[in-house]
Amino acid sequence: MKFFLVILIFSATVFCLSFSLRQKKEYKSLYESALNEFKQQQNDLRKVIKQADLSNQNDKEKIKEKIKTSRSKLKAIDFWLRYFEPLAYKKINGPLPVEWETEVFEKYEPPYRRQGGGITLAELALEEETVQKDSLLALIDTSVVALQAFEADSITTQLDTYHHFFLANRLYLLNLATIYTTGFECPDTSNIIPELRLMLSSVKKIYEDFDGTFPQTALSKEYLDLYDKFMAFVNNQLPDFSLFDHFSFIKDFVNPLFRLNQQFINSYGVRTISLMDFSLENNAYSIFDKALYSPQNTKGIFSLVDDENVLAEIKKIGKLLFYDPILSGNNKRSCASCHKPTEYFTDTTLVTAFQFDDQQHLSRNTPTLLNSVFNHLVMYDGKHISLQGQAKDVIQNPVEMNSHENELIKKVLSCKEYKDAFKKFAQYTPEEKAISLTHIVSAITYYYADFSNYYSPFDNAMNNKSSLNLAEKNGFNIFMSKAQCGTCHFLPQFNGVKPPYVGSEFEVIGVPEDSSYKKLSPDKGRYAVNPAKEMMNAFRTGTVRNAGYTKPYMHNGVFQTLEQVVDLYDAGGGVGKKLKVDNQTLSTDSLKLTKDEKINLIAFIHSLDENIIFEPPPPALPISSNKELNNRKVGGEY
Amino acid sequence: MKPILTILVLFLCAILFYQCVSQKKTEYEIPSHVTKENRELFIEKCEKGKILYKLHCSGCHGIFTKGKDGVPNFTQKQIDSYHAAALIGIDPRNHAVAKKMSSDQIDQIITFLRLRKIDK
Repeated sequence: MKFFLVILIFSATVFCLSFSLRQKKEYKSLYESALNEFKQQQNDLRKVIKQADLSNQNDKEKIKEKIKTSRSKLKAIDFWLRYFEPLAYKKINGPLPVEWETEVFEKYEPPYRRQGGGITLAELALEEETVQKDSLLALIDTSVVALQAFEADSITTQLDTYHHFFLANRLYLLNLATIYTTGFECPDTSNIIPELRLMLSSVKKIYEDFDGTFPQTALSKEYLDLYDKFMAFVNNQLPDFSLFDHFSFIKDFVNPLFRLNQQFINSYGVRTISLMDFSLENNAYSIFDKALYSPQNTKGIFSLVDDENVLAEIKKIGKLLFYDPILSGNNKRSCASCHKPTEYFTDTTLVTAFQFDDQQHLSRNTPTLLNSVFNHLVMYDGKHISLQGQAKDVIQNPVEMNSHENELIKKVLSCKEYKDAFKKFAQYTPEEKAISLTHIVSAITYYYADFSNYYSPFDNAMNNKSSLNLAEKNGFNIFMSKAQCGTCHFLPQFNGVKPPYVGSEFEVIGVPEDSSYKKLSPDKGRYAVNPAKEMMNAFRTGTVRNAGYTKPYMHNGVFQTLEQVVDLYDAGGGVGKKLKVDNQTLSTDSLKLTKDEKINLIAFIHSLDENIIFEPPPPALPISSNKELNNRKVGGEY
Repeated sequence: MKPILTILVLFLCAILFYQCVSQKKTEYEIPSHVTKENRELFIEKCEKGKILYKLHCSGCHGIFTKGKDGVPNFTQKQIDSYHAAALIGIDPRNHAVAKKMSSDQIDQIITFLRLRKIDK
């Protein structure tokens, strides 16, 4: 009897174990089978291309059809691939043949050149008249090789635990909000919504298998119910992406799902081995929370100061310095001279600001400081990697503020108020005890960065705090679809930083020298920093936030109205306007926007104007022991 | 005899004291092709990094006692990957301080660790 009992217990244990082991495998085997299927498709596609005669239209159609099936198989596995190995993913489904500096390290090392590959590029290449079989095959070969990375142990072992799942899911949700509905990687726009549907249902399967395999850390019923409603919503939408309700898609589904997923990340104690995950803030429960990601450090040398009172004092001194022309060589210009705090921290009256000599003009328009903290690289050409570096440059630039470091520090310290304050602050920076330019610029950046924390009516609508009118909503839908704005201006900051928010992008639009489109602006842009042919005339994608208040537009301030800007994009950029641009990254076809669509688009852009509470300038500046300096005016003279 | 002994003891003490005081600060291994000017910049950066390391890292990673440098000998690979992590974003659960630091401060610490002379 006893013996029988022992055997029974033993077999029951084995049964339970094998059951749980089999369960464990379910989720992983879904990954493996989906990966194999996609691999098979890639190999088939390769064969079809090899056998095809590219001068024959029928053969071309065959390839196209095969690419389409490949794409659908990719959608079944995109959830994982994009998260696990973003660099290998670019070779499987890259949006551009050559990309620069989308690498996380971009800021600290010379830019990397990334060669893209895969089906999207093959699809684009197929459209060209001069397409060569070799180049098509090369694109697919690149993809086949890159796929091997996803079979590595380092990746497949991650599937044995639940941790990666919620992080991959977070990236998936962010990509739903930013790129999957805009045609970012889908040249044939009629496929966008069908592919989206496919993807949603593939991920549903992933969710089910995950919950089966990891019941302890399963997705909640609330999440799954909402996801079902989400799928129903997408299935009920029209298949044309320009008629798709992008606004409700994000507001009612993607963002609430994102909130729930963030809760899982925190409550399940999700850990990561991927650096990318740390770029996102786990405590931001909305995509439209300004804390979602923050690429720029605003405190500079005061980063380790925690004392609220001291920080408030630093901010106060920062404000005085912002308005103080003592920072310029002739004591007549301050930060506020060009970045007027009452004009959204830019100058709306000048096309480009005056140079130090008060005669000539600078070559570029003054950008707003608002939301500059959300860029990895600062300035139109991304010359600077930190806000403090940018401030130092402007202060010492001979055609801007024309100061010299030592002289400047002497002048600042001649004012008792500054001297006492910085003496105190320096106690908090043991690595740099002497008061330096770094202390000065850090106080300034800490002051102005605060103004980037305000929200716009659009954010409030997305966070269910208020609503938008129909024109604004329709404008957003146009922005994300037909007008193609959303393919470069990514949510939530509407700048060139896309999930996982680790790099800034540069684009070539073909901005003219003057509004009559006689010739291309001669400004080389990013090329001056990174002399690669793709970067000629490229500029960092700026934010659309506050655009209603920050005219004039483009790097050279060539346009006075948003209508002119929309007109340039509508025409197909510089090329569409008959300018010679060899490397335009913007589609050169006309967008064919109707008058109403343009009106709505601009109404939406205005809904991104933030409700900022500006402060009045300081009544007076600190008194200097050098009497000559006491004539200086708050905010400078020009 | 006694005064001689006292003098001798004092003399020895002075030598000892001098030895201690004049003991060179942590030396750095800077490649020979670096110009004199840049060498000074590097050393300045290292010194800043050393102060920050002492204040914010040495609590867990190595100790500084009586002029003795007890910083672990991190490999270049460890330093490189930490650099990447610290700049992109770092796990706030065990490196909260590094998460707060500015990129300049991270750079100073990393430079200190990279160029620190390791006795073999």
